[in-house]
Amino acid sequence: MDILWFLTRRVLQALAVILIVTVVVFCLLHALPGGPARGILGPQATAQQIAAFNHEQGLDRSLPVQYVYYLGTLLQGDLGTSYALNEGVAQLIGQRLPKTLVLTVLSALVGLLLAIPLGMWQAVRRNKPVDYVVTGLSFVAYSTPVYFLGLVLVLVFTQVLRWFPSQAPQGDSLAQVFADPAALVLPVVSGAASMIAVFSRYMRSATLENLAEDYVRTARAGGSRRGAILRRHVFRNSLTPVVAMLGYYVPVLFGGALVVEQLFNYPGMGLLFWSAAQSSDYPVLLGCVLVISVATVVGTLLADVVQRVIDPRVKAGRA
Amino acid sequence: MNANTGTDILEVEGLGVTFATDTGDVPAVREVSLQVRPGETLALVGESGSGKSTVALAALGLLPGNAHVSGRVAVGGTEVVGSGEDTLARLRGRTASMVFQEPATALDPLTRIGRQIAEVIRNHRPVSAREAAAEAVELLRRVGIPEPERRAAAFPFQLSGGQRQRVVIAMAIANSPELLVADEPTTALDVTVQAEILDLLRELAADSGTGVLLVTHNMGVVADFADRVAVMLHGEIVETGPVEEVLLRPRHDYTRRLLAAVPRLTVTGPAQAGSTAAPPTPEDPTDPASPVVRLRDVSVQFGHRAGAVRALHEVSLTVGPGETVGLVGESGSGKSTAARVALGLVKPSGGAVSLFGADLRRTRGRARRRLLSGVGVVLQDPVASLDARMSVAQCVAEPLLVHRRDMRAAERRSRVADMLERVGLEKKLAARGPRELSGGQRQRVSLARALVLEPRLLVADEPTSALDVRVQRTVLEVIAELQRELGFACLFVSHDLAVVQQFAQRVVVLRAGEVVEQGPTGNTLLQPTSEYTRRLIAAVPVPDPVVQRRRRAERGNSTALAGRGVTA
Repeated sequence: MDILWFLTRRVLQALAVILIVTVVVFCLLHALPGGPARGILGPQATAQQIAAFNHEQGLDRSLPVQYVYYLGTLLQGDLGTSYALNEGVAQLIGQRLPKTLVLTVLSALVGLLLAIPLGMWQAVRRNKPVDYVVTGLSFVAYSTPVYFLGLVLVLVFTQVLRWFPSQAPQGDSLAQVFADPAALVLPVVSGAASMIAVFSRYMRSATLENLAEDYVRTARAGGSRRGAILRRHVFRNSLTPVVAMLGYYVPVLFGGALVVEQLFNYPGMGLLFWSAAQSSDYPVLLGCVLVISVATVVGTLLADVVQRVIDPRVKAGRA
Repeated sequence: MNANTGTDILEVEGLGVTFATDTGDVPAVREVSLQVRPGETLALVGESGSGKSTVALAALGLLPGNAHVSGRVAVGGTEVVGSGEDTLARLRGRTASMVFQEPATALDPLTRIGRQIAEVIRNHRPVSAREAAAEAVELLRRVGIPEPERRAAAFPFQLSGGQRQRVVIAMAIANSPELLVADEPTTALDVTVQAEILDLLRELAADSGTGVLLVTHNMGVVADFADRVAVMLHGEIVETGPVEEVLLRPRHDYTRRLLAAVPRLTVTGPAQAGSTAAPPTPEDPTDPASPVVRLRDVSVQFGHRAGAVRALHEVSLTVGPGETVGLVGESGSGKSTAARVALGLVKPSGGAVSLFGADLRRTRGRARRRLLSGVGVVLQDPVASLDARMSVAQCVAEPLLVHRRDMRAAERRSRVADMLERVGLEKKLAARGPRELSGGQRQRVSLARALVLEPRLLVADEPTSALDVRVQRTVLEVIAELQRELGFACLFVSHDLAVVQQFAQRVVVLRAGEVVEQGPTGNTLLQPTSEYTRRLIAAVPVPDPVVQRRRRAERGNSTALAGRGVTA
């Protein structure tokens, strides 16, 4: 079993999952009361107007037919047209996705870079005051809703301390986003907070588990010092389960972006999704959900691949 | 014993170890004193919980953080108790090193073995990474790993258990230590591999004059390897002396009881025909009138096509009514798979299985259930095979609830109580949970559960392997006694030839999924016809140092004649 066969199999599995997601989302959105016509035309629309709209959009055809038609256009890269903005959904998402990716990837990186050493440090100092304090803070950070945490950050850092602007970088291009890094700090921190909390917990328990492993005792019996054992052995062994979790965390990151973008008025996909949900902009919603689920599937796929690289046992099908 | 303490490589004086737990302090070791001289092997023996491993870990200062240590431990003149991590790190892997019980978990799974050995080298000597890597290859060659240049790049999971233990030994001898602490170094290994590892350790110790502290529960290993023996009971040393004295003329009552419980392999050599030691065979084994279970040319395959593993290949065996058949072989030989085929748990890919005269492949549904209710099972791990949330009485009653649904509650209760009494468990234990019992008690519960339906066949898969010898003996006695009373047949799977020799009338030897030979226990284990069985028997260390020394010499000669040693 070589890497190519492994990748082919995993990609095929991923495609199957995405196909199921499109079916589920399609059915769910069609089950909404009133349907898209009522959402677009408003409460004053007459029955004839709705029927005409449905006919025009192909919404009076049977669901399987609509679904197949939808899949067909999807394969051509056409996600439909927004009812509210009268623009191609693919274009709308295409403009905003890079910005959301900047936000989520930065949040994830900052989160991991802080969470992993923090978790290891806690494990080494297990049941000492530092461990208790960090554990307490983790639970606070984890149980604070992102919108509340964001509001507190805005209040403290833009009103009281005036260190950062209250608005995220505006503008359409990525260059404009990076032109104002200070404005990115608060959105990224808001997004990273729960990530730090969750992943420091994972890393703490993985490290604790590994510190109790026999191989640590073997290394100590060979005269290796604590720091070296942590660096050379425990770190990598603890990282494998954490990497596996990372893929599943992609939708959580996007969910966080939804709130953070709204809070800091950052024109990314979250904000698009937010306004689409409010105006029952069904093609946009469907497009966003599709993109997020593809991102999730790709995330888990990447996590699998990375794990295969770190852990030789996965390759042999033993772990 | 009364040597000049200045020359001792390990000195332990008045060692006491107490573990602080949530439920209070647990004393593990009390007032232990012992010495190991250069070039000498001291065996520390005792049952589980006797504190022998705690002493071993204390020698290198490797006890966990909740251990409170008193007394004095010195290695090569360096004080261990009370020393900081820095002093201990300089000591460990250089002056003294350790070999552990579980080669499966003793190595970092994500680091190549060459690097792990090189790490120990570079911990103590200022050599370059390249020099250390080259030395690691040399060490792998020295501990008998074939193709060491290539193997150095292997990950631990790519090696067999015996090879992993060789790697752990290579790490331990990397800096030519003066003291080697070996904590049950061969317990997780097959006998033939055990013999090789013991030979290797003996060679290394003899070459470099290393003192060895050998922790083991296996008296055969002690007889094979040790110069002196210290016997531990409840955290204290009750007897110390030269190996011949302690094993052949034990003074302490506990040592005597311990040695009496050790199952001994009767080994009158192949030249001397000794059928007197063999248990009587109840009937003609080749064609019993109506076998309880019969496997004919059974093959089992796990997986498909390229990834398929052949677990059994054309295995034929029968168990007659009331007869005990021992199924022996090394790990991976297919003995547990064969037992599972007899239980209807594994579907053979070829051949025929008949249980009580009915073809197991053609029997389905209720008839199959009724058929299988005539078979009782006892497995190796009594902790894992009993539901922790059920009481002992519930565990034993469960087969009745499944197979005798019309039985009245009062009758069921009396059956359960009767069965518990027969396996020798007190009434008051019936309401307890399995976790509140000792290992031996748990295995009695498993046995009561297996026999409550009065089966015609008992399948016992390594039923006593997890138990101490004295407990093993009582459990085996209970099985034998109940077999006389109830008359069930027994398919007894074990890796322990001595136990099988005492317990089974016939024996089937498996290797790599094939029957190597089978016959009455007396003949097969005393005058084996196959080379493999001969090697297997020769590898078993007997708990008599004089006999064992002779056997080792004979084994050395015969393996020299056979060319290369055995690899399992």
